[in-house]
Amino acid sequence: MIFVMIFGMGLIVFLNRYLFIEPRLPVRLNRGAREFLGFAVPGMLTAICGPIIFLADHKLNLSVSNPYLLAGVSAVALMFWTRSVLITVLLSMALFYLFRWLL
Amino acid sequence: MSNSLMPRSAFLRGAAAIMPLSLATAPWGLLAGSMAIEANLTPLQGQGLSSIVFAGAAQLVAIGMLKGGAGVFSILLTTLLLTSQHLLYGMHMRPTLSPLKARWRMSLGFLLTDEFFALVSQYDRQTFNRWYALGVGLTFYIIWNVFTFAGIVLGKSIPGLDQLGLEFSIAATFIALITPVVRDVPTIVCVAVSLLCSVWLSYLHWESAVVVSGVLGMSAGFACKRLGVGQR
Repeated sequence: MIFVMIFGMGLIVFLNRYLFIEPRLPVRLNRGAREFLGFAVPGMLTAICGPIIFLADHKLNLSVSNPYLLAGVSAVALMFWTRSVLITVLLSMALFYLFRWLL
Repeated sequence: MSNSLMPRSAFLRGAAAIMPLSLATAPWGLLAGSMAIEANLTPLQGQGLSSIVFAGAAQLVAIGMLKGGAGVFSILLTTLLLTSQHLLYGMHMRPTLSPLKARWRMSLGFLLTDEFFALVSQYDRQTFNRWYALGVGLTFYIIWNVFTFAGIVLGKSIPGLDQLGLEFSIAATFIALITPVVRDVPTIVCVAVSLLCSVWLSYLHWESAVVVSGVLGMSAGFACKRLGVGQR
């Protein structure tokens, strides 16, 4: 039964991923659709980050002393300043643990 | 990324590019393995989740639901809702991926995760390199499965792994990828709407919070652009 579930989940996830890559699917993306999809990176990746930052351990934390929020804002600043993904991730991780330890 | 790179060097570049994100998500791979054992799945089933489903959030939620005694149907429905953002990724990458041969399309389609999308979506038909994409996707897949295996072996001996705040590494990486893209007012609106909705809908325990808030953010940005907001 567990394996039925695993294969079922695998099939659903694969279909979600593959559906619009299939060339025989009669979809043509017009200019509007392309413009809309141009917002996919900021829109979708932000939606993944939001709950991580404000809902750690499933508790809403909107305070300014939220270490996730402070380190997240630092990451934006670090990215502007360094232009390097790797440095930004490493330094903001260090800051995150520093904030968590201090606050 | 040039189209003319040799397959091997393009693959290696992709593998190097995904390394930080692979390590950022490694703790989740560990957790996916150890939680599976904790929920009384066999090691083979635990590894099967990572190698067949290959979707971190869906795996962790499914294991949690199994522990809570949920049925297969409700788990499958939750999987559909939790992973529906991949429909958008596929649509976004249609121009670059759909002209490929079937075996490339299927392989890269299988490997199309949030992290793959974050790195590969920026290339258009001219700059896209399938070997680079394979390097990104396959490396991520292997590392995810290696850490799942480690989690299975370590089993219940990783106490409090989910309380270490390791998920911040994922947020940090995504923030680093989003920041350079935010250059105009419509994108700022998109990010703001997506952020607000994702926190609010997750707080309300919507299983489809990610895709719904992502689409709302994208629509808000698109509407602003069409209305000419922030343009001189």
